[in-house]
Amino acid sequence: MAAEGAGSRPESRAGIHGWGAYIPVYRIPTRVIAAEWGWPDHQWKALNVAEKAVAGPDEDSTTMGVEASLNAIRRARIEPSRIGAVFFGSESKVYAVKPSATIIAEAVGATPVTMASDLEFACRAASEGMKNSIALVSSGMLEYTLVVGSDTAQASPGDVLEFSAASGAVAFVVGPRDGAAAVFEASYTYVTDTPDFWRRAGKPYPSHGEGFTGEPAYFHHIMSAVKGLMEETGLKPGDFDYAVFHQPNGKFPVRVAQKLGFTIEQVKQGLVTPLIGNTYNASALLGLARVLDVARPGERILVAPFGSGAGSDAYSIVVTDAIEERRGLAPPVDYYINSKVVIDYGLYVKFRGKVVKRRI
Amino acid sequence: MPVSVKSVGLTRIDRHYNKGVYDLAVEAVDDALKDSGAEPSYLVASTSASLLLEPQLDLASYLASHLGLRGSRALAVEAGEASGLAAILAGYRLAISTGERVLVVGVDKLSDLPSASVHAALKHVFYRYGDALYKVGHAAVAGLLASLYMDRFGVDRETMSYWPAMMHSHAKENPYAMLRFAVKPEKVATAMPVASPLTLLDMFPLGDGAAAVLLDPQGGGLAEIASVESSTGPASIAFSEDPLWLDAVEESWRRALSTAGVNGVEVLEIHDSYTIMGLLILETLRLAERGKAAELVAEGAFTVGGSGPLVNASGGLKARGHPVGATGVYMAAEVAMQLADVFPGVKADDAKTGAAVSINGHGSSAYTAIFRST
Amino acid sequence: MSGVGGLRNVEAWRTRIPRYRFLGARCKSCGKLHYPPLKACPYCGSRDLEEAQLPRQGRLLAFTSVYSVEEGGREESPIFVGLIDLGVARVVAELTDVTDPSRLAAGIPVEAVFRRISEEDDEGVIVYGVKFRPVPGAGEGD
Repeated sequence: MAAEGAGSRPESRAGIHGWGAYIPVYRIPTRVIAAEWGWPDHQWKALNVAEKAVAGPDEDSTTMGVEASLNAIRRARIEPSRIGAVFFGSESKVYAVKPSATIIAEAVGATPVTMASDLEFACRAASEGMKNSIALVSSGMLEYTLVVGSDTAQASPGDVLEFSAASGAVAFVVGPRDGAAAVFEASYTYVTDTPDFWRRAGKPYPSHGEGFTGEPAYFHHIMSAVKGLMEETGLKPGDFDYAVFHQPNGKFPVRVAQKLGFTIEQVKQGLVTPLIGNTYNASALLGLARVLDVARPGERILVAPFGSGAGSDAYSIVVTDAIEERRGLAPPVDYYINSKVVIDYGLYVKFRGKVVKRRI
Repeated sequence: MPVSVKSVGLTRIDRHYNKGVYDLAVEAVDDALKDSGAEPSYLVASTSASLLLEPQLDLASYLASHLGLRGSRALAVEAGEASGLAAILAGYRLAISTGERVLVVGVDKLSDLPSASVHAALKHVFYRYGDALYKVGHAAVAGLLASLYMDRFGVDRETMSYWPAMMHSHAKENPYAMLRFAVKPEKVATAMPVASPLTLLDMFPLGDGAAAVLLDPQGGGLAEIASVESSTGPASIAFSEDPLWLDAVEESWRRALSTAGVNGVEVLEIHDSYTIMGLLILETLRLAERGKAAELVAEGAFTVGGSGPLVNASGGLKARGHPVGATGVYMAAEVAMQLADVFPGVKADDAKTGAAVSINGHGSSAYTAIFRST
Repeated sequence: MSGVGGLRNVEAWRTRIPRYRFLGARCKSCGKLHYPPLKACPYCGSRDLEEAQLPRQGRLLAFTSVYSVEEGGREESPIFVGLIDLGVARVVAELTDVTDPSRLAAGIPVEAVFRRISEEDDEGVIVYGVKFRPVPGAGEGD
């Protein structure tokens, strides 16, 4: 299964030592949201999202990020003080100014000799953190980094976005090739200025270009990144055991896979949005975590996160023997997916602070 | 010559919307001093919740100004919910060491602000970086203790409800009490929940009041002070091997009995911010076996004609009221009046000894004052 | 009255490490652990203490649902509070992720989670720290 042209790339000097997930326990069925706003059934069924994870009133992107990070560090089995950078990717940061990454770094014990920053690139920010981590580790500048993708995705009540905008977090400890549970093989990034989805400063809810979020944004960027990766490495869809794409809903990742020549079998394990909704910065990377929960040594994984605005990274990752001993050290993604309490729209509105105290 | 409670002055505890802390304190002091002639040399003021709700530092000096006590020696004492009896301790020791008269006045005002603000302030009777860290208000720890108590001793909710019923039946006769009406035990469990299993009828009302006592080292007056003692307890119920046993209460009580040279008392005022605290104090004082206090209360053991001492003839914190910094001063005044046979409510029959037991929170501190008739 | 109930910015910063990492203290004299760390052992009074990590799993000894909440707590009320046995220590902590109070019971397993504790207002800093929740799938939630 060795890929031509991949072995000597700098990416191959870095790998994933630990991965960790966190998903809040609360779920609201898409059907309930649709009923609240009077949508017909086909409207929500088309998205292929059964229910979405909702953060509790005392949860936010930082708290979920801490929980996922603790799980990732448990799997990596490293002293947290050896982490030299914490990259926090989120579009629901609790502070407009003041890093969340420092809170996470402090909570997990990575401080004070560490880099820490919040990254912003819509749903792709954490992936940029992953690529930065590969560079920092493969160059030898740092030993380990912590990459966190976490969002309590905002959706204006009544917007179609509300069907899928969910809460969840994922974290990875990136470190040297030796001892890694999976090693990077290659990466390819594709970015343009495409305003398909945005949120202006100070505004609580994002705006989006509806159909414009599809072809010119999601599909064009992911396909360009994945094709670029395959061209550079000579890898073909059939060389991968798993393919994970950004998942704004349950239908786009399947369609982009088909367009690129991947089968549904390759995509299935990495699909989490149909089960818990779109967790934005955690979306594709949570899919990667779910693949690592089951992948066997030697298997190859394609991951392609996407962020509006717009850009995509494609990574090729190969699983090592070390994965077996790491798996059991923290709860798998499915533990969190299955640990759930269904809530109604009233509780959802209360939890997410959407109760508007209107003047009479 | 023992220090005596020369005279006392009380305001009725109520929502005194038209009176501030100085109005109430002056009223109580005027009542205490109206027959006693000589002015006190020392003024010991006690206030607690108002320090956070309607802040005033150096309250004792400003109170002295309102009282016209120019040039007097004034200071304030703060010990959370036990402030009043802590002020009695300080005043008592001052009277002994200086041979001068000491006026102790406790005052607090809880009715001016919304209850959520009062709970925010009162939770600080608990440790700021521990049990008070969360947005839990004042009642949470009492709820935990009540829950532990019911579980451990198999006491049911209905039996515990006899405590507030007894407090209300006593308060009904006390003109200074805030809640002067009867409450049936069966109404308690279904009242508004406060901190499960406790309800609003298990909890002290948020009222305002002031109480003053004049301590005189020359003796005479209503009653003699036999001893005032205290002890600190654990910083949290989490640090107590047995949170249902109040170490600070036990120790302050032991010290006070030993100093006074008595084995027990006939009339008692104890701290019952919530039903559970009253029951736990009764058990810690060994007036009831572990887990049996509620049953004894239901049997009428602690009211007139009961087998035990008369407990909380005032109606207790539950029904007389609990203007935090003033409460211990009320207790001292009420016990002294009982021993002089002038308490204008439910009366102990010819009692010669009495005590007041006050605590802060879960028992981070406890104070005991023992009195005997003159 | 704003902020009277919760920690303010600088003190929250000063006290963050034990709260973020659930670090208590072990008494070198009597060996017992406690949280939050005091300057002396609450059991024997010794000042000879060392930092100690507390276990994140425990059992509920008692709980209460608080309705008489303080300012700023109304939108989250009732607030659940537990006395938790960690084996090596006991703690009083807020309980979170409780959707069905009827499933709370003495003895159920609980776990530490990193959560928001309080904030001065929506312009102030957020105080984070450990709360406990019923372990999902172990009697609470389905």
